[in-house]
Amino acid sequence: MFSERERERYKRQMMLFGDEGQEKLKNAEIFIAGAGGLGSPVSIYLAVAGVGTLTLVDKDVVEQTNLNRQILHYDRDIGRKKTASAEEKLREVNPDITVRVIDTTIDETNVDNLVGKADGIVDAMDNFPTRYVLNDAAIRKKIPLFHGAIRGLYGQATTIIPEKTACLRCIFPNPPPKEVFPVVGVTPGFIGMVQVTEMLKYLLGSGELLTNRLFIWDGMTAHAEEITVARNPVCVSCGKKKVQVRKKK
Amino acid sequence: MTVKVRFFARFRELLGTDIVIDAPKGKVLSELIKDIAKKNKEGFDAIFDEHGTFREFVILMRNGKRVEIGDAAKVTVVDGDEIAVFPPVAGG
Repeated sequence: MFSERERERYKRQMMLFGDEGQEKLKNAEIFIAGAGGLGSPVSIYLAVAGVGTLTLVDKDVVEQTNLNRQILHYDRDIGRKKTASAEEKLREVNPDITVRVIDTTIDETNVDNLVGKADGIVDAMDNFPTRYVLNDAAIRKKIPLFHGAIRGLYGQATTIIPEKTACLRCIFPNPPPKEVFPVVGVTPGFIGMVQVTEMLKYLLGSGELLTNRLFIWDGMTAHAEEITVARNPVCVSCGKKKVQVRKKK
Repeated sequence: MTVKVRFFARFRELLGTDIVIDAPKGKVLSELIKDIAKKNKEGFDAIFDEHGTFREFVILMRNGKRVEIGDAAKVTVVDGDEIAVFPPVAGG
């Protein structure tokens, strides 16, 4: 059921999704790993779309160098926890949704509890080790994972449906070296929108998902490419040998 | 025979892209990429380690299909092949 305010708020997209579709979004819970360059646009657009419950996890405080891209955070937030800053903005963006924030580092020991019963996991991380932790949790819990990553004006995205499609480790068995990556805000903005579009389609059960396909964006030449990917039968994460159930602390 | 090699992201910055090569018959994929990468040491070092082996994160595609880097020395390129070489990006 929608309030009069909600009906007005979502009027233009309910022309696309109908009451039933909007209800699906309202009943959905999305887990967003990271409130940085990708997490900012992703959470803002999920919030305005009316996705009912957003859980946002981040461990960092806002720094001046974040502000060229992490659009949830403002100059006045420097030194604040990103989770506190994000919660405040998202509640203002849409008071009709539930926003939960958790100030912690995602690791193997806590990921299953953090993700809980989410309907989808957004990979808005900035490193591959934590991405693999999310990937393994997604497989164990059979929850879709919406991957995005960026560097400079390049970005990539794919949608992972456990047991059905290539997982993150099928596609990227080995991580690239760690670095302080160059970035301009438009790139996570662009890739974040690919991730959110995927999530909305998944929740609505419509369209064609970016599964078994790696989307690659080169902003410098304005070229989008797509590469077909496939499950790796001997993948250490989703291959026949199942992902080990992690001990809970 | 003509083969096209496309580099992406950091590899593209260092080596360019859409490189069309006139390759001899029987040329294997790993040697083809090495020949091109040799023109820029930084580019070569980004893709290959000190032993001239592909760095483990490098992704190779031939006509849109994945080639495992361990198999690149066994895969012979043929006329019209399109090869893609890219690193995953990791930022967020």
